[in-house]
Amino acid sequence: MLTIKDLVYSVSELKDDGTEKRKEIIRGVDFTFVQGKFYAVTGPNGSGKTTLSKLIMGIYKPDSGRIVFDGQELTGLSISERARLGIAFSFQHPARFKGMSFRSLLGIAAGTDDEKVLHRILLRVGLCSFDFLDKEVGSKLSGGEIKKVELATTIARNPRLAIFDEPDTGIDLWTIGPMVELLQKEQHENGTTTIVISHNEKFLRAADEVILLKNGKVAHVGSFDNTLPMLKDIDLCSWGEHCLEETDARCYR
Amino acid sequence: MLDAIDKQLLKAVADLEQIPQGAYNIRKNGQLESRKVTANINIVANARKSGIDITVAPGTVNESIHIPVILNKANLLDIVENRFFIGENSDVTIVAGCGIHCGSDKPEGHAGIHEFYLEKGSRIRYVEKHYAAGPGSGKRTLNPVTKVYLAENAHVEMDLVQIGGVDKAERKNEAELGPGSSMLITEKVMTDGKQRAVSNNKIILRGKGSRAELISRSVIKGSSKQDFFGSIDAYAQSYGHLECDAIIMDKGTNETVPALRSFHPDAELTHEAAIGKIANAQLMKLMSLGLEYDEAVSRIIQGFLQ
Ligand SMILES: Nc1ncnc2c1ncn2[C@@H]1O[C@H](COP(=O)(O)OP(=O)(O)O)[C@@H](O)[C@H]1O
Ligand SMILES: [Mg+2]
Repeated sequence: MLTIKDLVYSVSELKDDGTEKRKEIIRGVDFTFVQGKFYAVTGPNGSGKTTLSKLIMGIYKPDSGRIVFDGQELTGLSISERARLGIAFSFQHPARFKGMSFRSLLGIAAGTDDEKVLHRILLRVGLCSFDFLDKEVGSKLSGGEIKKVELATTIARNPRLAIFDEPDTGIDLWTIGPMVELLQKEQHENGTTTIVISHNEKFLRAADEVILLKNGKVAHVGSFDNTLPMLKDIDLCSWGEHCLEETDARCYR
Repeated sequence: MLDAIDKQLLKAVADLEQIPQGAYNIRKNGQLESRKVTANINIVANARKSGIDITVAPGTVNESIHIPVILNKANLLDIVENRFFIGENSDVTIVAGCGIHCGSDKPEGHAGIHEFYLEKGSRIRYVEKHYAAGPGSGKRTLNPVTKVYLAENAHVEMDLVQIGGVDKAERKNEAELGPGSSMLITEKVMTDGKQRAVSNNKIILRGKGSRAELISRSVIKGSSKQDFFGSIDAYAQSYGHLECDAIIMDKGTNETVPALRSFHPDAELTHEAAIGKIANAQLMKLMSLGLEYDEAVSRIIQGFLQ
């Protein structure tokens, strides 16, 4: 349902001597996602997971390569157009909106202000208090709350393809299980092709396929069990560069 | 008599489709249009620049007072000085507001000077909307002043809104808070074109345990300019917070100058101020929910000024 071909994305970086050079962040990704399956994408910090999902959503434009969704080339389509085709994305760091209520945001996502519809979405995502609708999606929400808001707006889209970028960060340890079940239920009941970016074992176990991204490339694809040995090898620490170069490095983790 | 334009202005500034419930005083083109008093709320003309004195009897609750002003006469600069005496333990809503309809190239303006004296334990919610419209090019000016004096445990909530069409606005808010009293001022102003708006605020925390919060939200479009000056001076164990946010669109400019002064060791004063364009992350989020860029902008602004 989603085919990524030879995708390359780079940014310009300022060098110490003041000259600019291109830095490739996605370095030739090829992958085909199958309709209705559950995928987990994992990999070290900085490996390009967020960048790859933003390329799919249209937030970044690739240097080269193609993204084909349900037979349609996405290159040249705006974020809004992709959203309307059925792609939804939960941001790793969700935006906060001064003055905007959760009701308004969820209403935009669901395309309706109908109270009954909004209540049904809340129940669907396990937010049992309807009072939550009147909260401002501003700076007062906790890290966990804003992630739940983000998740709810994604599910409210009834997407064909849902991408969740680290939905579990900031969430209480004991609510990760229910979150995994929720996304699996959406996958089964609505046939939602689901991509979850996570380091959490619960998500990796739930996935039909685990994709390991390293250095802007797909390093491995497989079941949880056959990916596990590879995961033990990778360093999830993003300070690696600093530690490896120094002889007397402290660990900043 | 009120004509169609008057009714449109009343709707915009006071949400009035009909003659309001409760006490009211409607002023049109510098003259009294109509007035109603109730058993608990009295309204009389005062000696100061053709203003009114409004007296709310102690213990009056769940009553409202509407005092809209409408203007549609060229070259009229209407100034009124109104006073509000709010009796002990009463709880009322006051809806003020000024609507200008400008049909010519001549200027029109209004300056409402409102003084509030809140007795012990009284509460008011004060809503003031400003709006100007009409095909004329005459300059529309609104220079409102509010002065609020809160006795022990009194509480005031003020919603000050300038919806649009006002060419020049210079606002002045002053408040002095007694022991245990509190106030929340929310000011929302949108300007466009070459409009200019200035808001001056001075809050004095005089009494022990007093609390004041002032929230200002500005949307500055076109090449308009909005400035905000706000100060909180604390003379007692008290709490004060200033929050000013300005969203700049197009070529708008803004000056935000918050000032906190503490003259007491147990005062707690804070401020947050931000000036900037709409955050990209917000636009991306709303577009990823299917909105086009322009719709996303308008929903963000609408929420911000909600
Ligand atoms: N706009 C940008 N400018 C420069 N570098 C960027 C930009 N966005 C991402 N990067 C870099 O690209 C790499 C991949 O980032 P990201 O996709 O966020 O990784 P992940 O989500 O896997 O942690 C990181 O090294 C990050 O610093
Ligand atoms: Mg990331």
